[in-house]
Amino acid sequence: MRRFAIAALLSAPLAVIAVPAQAAWHSYISHQLGFSFEAPGEVKSQPGTYRGSIAGPRQTMVFRSVDDNIEYKVTVMSFLQAQAEGANILGEREYMFQDGKKVLMDTFGRVEPGKEAIYGRKITVDLPKNGGRTTAAFYFTKGKLYILEATVLPANGDYATPDAGRFIDSVTFNLARAEKNATELKIPEE
Amino acid sequence: MRITVLAFSAGFGLVLAAAPAEAAWRGYISHPLGFGFAAPGDLKVEKGTYKGAVAGSLDAIVYRSVDDNIEYKAIVIDTGAEANQSATLLGEAEYIFQDGKKLLMDSFGRVDGHYGRKLTVDLPNKGGRTTAAFYFVDGRIVSLQATVLPANGDYDNPEMARFVDSISFYTVRAADDAIELPMPK
Repeated sequence: MRRFAIAALLSAPLAVIAVPAQAAWHSYISHQLGFSFEAPGEVKSQPGTYRGSIAGPRQTMVFRSVDDNIEYKVTVMSFLQAQAEGANILGEREYMFQDGKKVLMDTFGRVEPGKEAIYGRKITVDLPKNGGRTTAAFYFTKGKLYILEATVLPANGDYATPDAGRFIDSVTFNLARAEKNATELKIPEE
Repeated sequence: MRITVLAFSAGFGLVLAAAPAEAAWRGYISHPLGFGFAAPGDLKVEKGTYKGAVAGSLDAIVYRSVDDNIEYKAIVIDTGAEANQSATLLGEAEYIFQDGKKLLMDSFGRVDGHYGRKLTVDLPNKGGRTTAAFYFVDGRIVSLQATVLPANGDYDNPEMARFVDSISFYTVRAADDAIELPMPK
């Protein structure tokens, strides 16, 4: 009995060591871009590009972190001169996201209540060649397209992790609802 | 043998008599609204009102026909000064359409460079089945909705899809003999 107890005591720390270290979640905010979200790890910003038939070529702003082999990415692009085309630009981006992939979920997304609501979509796909699983949310408001993507990489393998949902559902466009201690996002230089 | 042929002919005649009369499909077009579609039956126009939490109360134009207990509706909602919220207004209209109903299909729609959605719902209280398409074009929400009523009962009827898929936003693609849709008085 004493041997069992000792063995149990010895194995407990090993189990703790085997669990991967997960970074704490922090709130991030951009007053300039008008949104806030939560993510774990160190969020870094970088410029990017996007091209769609309707959207045309676009510069993007990407905010990205990786934690526990899950990639968290927010992409923002501006369409201030084409706001009335927002529905088509949003639809095109959603379509391109899932094109050629196995769609597991495609449902309504809605942020903020009542007349402040912003409607979008939430889509989950399996990436080709066992590349992992991405859950994404898409919104277009005030001339900007916002895409939140959480990709569970094969090295993580827990494709049902709630962290993907936690990330994409953390977005808010009402900055009064953002965490008071949210970190201001650095806008990437072009 | 002759008796068999006669019996077959008589039976065929009965089948024809039993089948409901279906009106011919016609092409319709609206140059001012920038779209066209095809529908059967006698199409009538009326004014309507659309309400949404975000959209508020907006004027709508409804083109409607009923044939073989299937209701065909083309609804045009002018979003006016709110057009810059097109993505949310379209999403809200789609959400309201399916809210509280059994959703059977929700997929991408893509017509003439416009992205939208196609949805099928079962109506509450066995009220029938509706297939709809939603698009946002030139400041307007355009929705085609076909409802198979219980009196028809053929809920897999391909006429629903034929109707919602007939929409075009390139008026040059409308049928040559398409009828110009009237504006409501």
